[in-house]
Amino acid sequence: MEAFKLMRELKINLEQESIYLPWEKGLNLLESTLENDKQISARCRDAKVEDLWSLTSFFGYRTQTFVQAVNLLDRFLAIMKVKPKHLSCITIACLHIAAKLVEEECNIASTHDLIRISQCKFTISDLTRMEKIISEKLNFQCKAVTALTFLHLYHEVTLLHTSESKDSLSLDKLEAQMKACLCRIVFSKAKPSVLALSLLAQEIEAIQSVDMLEIAQCIQRHLKIADRELLYWRGLVAKCITDYSSPECSKPDNKKLVWIISRRTAQNLHSNYYSVPELPTIPEGGWDESGSEDSCEDMSCGEDSMGSDTEGPSVPPHLHHQINKQQTSSPYSQGVSEHLGATCH
Amino acid sequence: MKPVRGIMTGGSRRISSEARCLVSGSRAMSSAATTPPSVDKVDGFSRKSVRKAKQKRSQSSSQFRSQGKPIELTPLPLLKDVPGTEQPELFLQKLQQCCTLFDFMDTLSDLKMKEYKRSTLNELVDYVTVSRGYLTEQAYPEVVKMVSYNIFRTLPPSDSNEFDPEEDEPTLEASWPHLQLVYEFFIRFLESQEFQPSIAKKYIDQKFVLQLLELFDSEDPRERDYLKTVLHRIYGKFLGLRAFIRKQINNIFLRFVYETEHFNGVAELLEILGSIINGFALPLKAEHKQFLVKVLIPLHTVRSLSLFHAQLAYCIVQFLEKDPLLTEPVIRGLLKFWPKTCSQKEVMFLGELEEILDVIEPTQFVKIQEPLFKQISRCVSSPHFQVAERALYYWNNEYIMSLIEENSNVILPIMFASLYRISKEHWNPAIVALVYNVLKAFMEMNSVLFDELTATYKSDRQREKKKEKEREELWKMLEDLELKRGLQNDGIIPT
Repeated sequence: MEAFKLMRELKINLEQESIYLPWEKGLNLLESTLENDKQISARCRDAKVEDLWSLTSFFGYRTQTFVQAVNLLDRFLAIMKVKPKHLSCITIACLHIAAKLVEEECNIASTHDLIRISQCKFTISDLTRMEKIISEKLNFQCKAVTALTFLHLYHEVTLLHTSESKDSLSLDKLEAQMKACLCRIVFSKAKPSVLALSLLAQEIEAIQSVDMLEIAQCIQRHLKIADRELLYWRGLVAKCITDYSSPECSKPDNKKLVWIISRRTAQNLHSNYYSVPELPTIPEGGWDESGSEDSCEDMSCGEDSMGSDTEGPSVPPHLHHQINKQQTSSPYSQGVSEHLGATCH
Repeated sequence: MKPVRGIMTGGSRRISSEARCLVSGSRAMSSAATTPPSVDKVDGFSRKSVRKAKQKRSQSSSQFRSQGKPIELTPLPLLKDVPGTEQPELFLQKLQQCCTLFDFMDTLSDLKMKEYKRSTLNELVDYVTVSRGYLTEQAYPEVVKMVSYNIFRTLPPSDSNEFDPEEDEPTLEASWPHLQLVYEFFIRFLESQEFQPSIAKKYIDQKFVLQLLELFDSEDPRERDYLKTVLHRIYGKFLGLRAFIRKQINNIFLRFVYETEHFNGVAELLEILGSIINGFALPLKAEHKQFLVKVLIPLHTVRSLSLFHAQLAYCIVQFLEKDPLLTEPVIRGLLKFWPKTCSQKEVMFLGELEEILDVIEPTQFVKIQEPLFKQISRCVSSPHFQVAERALYYWNNEYIMSLIEENSNVILPIMFASLYRISKEHWNPAIVALVYNVLKAFMEMNSVLFDELTATYKSDRQREKKKEKEREELWKMLEDLELKRGLQNDGIIPT
């Protein structure tokens, strides 16, 4: 698209973006809620958004689907008081609605698969009902103008005007960073246009392109975004990106996921290779094992007194052979090793 | 293509040859039991269902007494009824009597004498367990002689050429009522407080041990169990024989792996080795390390691995606990011998590998992580769902997860492509669900790398699709060109 059209596109979206902003008071309420069983907190929401990202990735959905789903979720949670037990259903419903809006028919995962993979406990009819409820509550204004929309437009505009190479500003990287931001509820309060611009500005600063910086400032002026607002969000974005790129791995919480395996594999796992053998340990003698071709042992002085024929100190005399009875070996063999102390290592 | 013979014909044919066997009573008279080949093999694969139609095998023994006349043994008084001074002499006499062997294949002969020998043996077992001062120097050679006479024999050949240790019932030793007591007696003798290896070693020598080892090929699992205990005690008490025993076991295993692939006592020998390995002194001798690399690892290649895999895995893990530096050669060895066509074996290997990883040191892990996870990545993509499932289940192991986490930047790129692909393409929905768990774990572990890989993967796929499309269009263009030329030649289209 040529420059003029792009700019116009931006303006149109700008006008519409406030329609799709989640109710700020509702988001504040979520943020201030403490975690308990009866109410949804910000951390619950963030965890669910991460799940959304996992599922998006897994099913091969586009980033747009993810962003739309998050938008639906936030708008819904901001205006409805929801019980935590319904949150999974709502999340998956949002994802499914978003997929239907964005993806090609053939790529949309079935509701059956959605429920199975996400290991949720509700049924398909629950899901369908929830989708209806969500759509109604949001007045059927499902396809939102999101930060991603702006991000794409900004990216195009920048590349159009810049003299730098096209590869210097990676859209994939920007999208990934946006995804990281969306996983935190605080960014749902930002205007999409501002959030996208913050991301763009941060990246431009990182690659240190003066050229692109000017373009970004142009966009800011064109959309009449206040300096103070931009700076505020840029700060938060910067911090988020630092956390996202940090080499510290967060330990995955495997306990949340259920590992369902077939019966045969489960049986194999239980057959314990590590069963204590019935035979007690035979400590290796340090000295003369005559007949050995590589008996290159050092015969240390302590051994001479023993002589080569004395009883192997391995099986105690009191150890009677008992059929099918397990013998433990450790206490005994320790005692023996001490006895041999001088000779073995 | 050979016509498929009905199962009934083949089965009944075999059953009738069995019947002939049982009626004649003596193994020597039955014809060599050859399995009729063509029924068993359909399209070159043997039909296990046919083989299961066989009846349970009769017992067999290679102890043949060809003498016609019945055996007569003069009954001796009981040891407890005789004063202490006479007991040693009586003991020797009883030992002498027990050297007489009976034919158990003929179930009706010499019943009274068989019972006498049995009760004598029983008595000897008790005597050896509780008595004091009975073990004179003269007793040793007699004991060893009696034991040798009874247990050392040529084992009967396996009945069927196709004896499958996993599937078929083993042929049991017919003379077990006596044999068991002989073994029992010998073990108690060896464990007795009065037992002196310095005297015994004159009689329990290399020749004895060699014959003992040959017996491990017995099909009777009870016998092998006793042999295991006997050899274990001998190894423990006779230091002078240890190197010899180890060497002979080496030979047996090497022959087993590289020549015959037949030996019934591998599991028992490995159990003994487990207790030996457990007792190795540190630092490990070169001989032992050689044994690990040249014998234990190649043992994994044998077809009948399932019979002794538990014991083998135990030995391997014991070695690694003794000397962690052996980890790299062990894992490389396993990877080299990784099963390519046998899925059951693959599952076993995966189980063993997990046990090894359970005890691996992080520094060693780093050394082998690349080839290791390349193999795991192949396992995960396996169309055999059990293999894939077992491999994916590694991600449920906390310790392995912590190792993966520390090295996610190396491991994730290796695993990524196959995980992503099978999440789309695998036929088994349970596997797909497990893959989700694994991908989610990776995602949380290292988001940046994961996103990068996702982006690369997607763009690669798009490029591939584009290429495919271009290729198709090129072909279409060529087709059109041909068509056009054809039509021109025919004068339909003006040139």
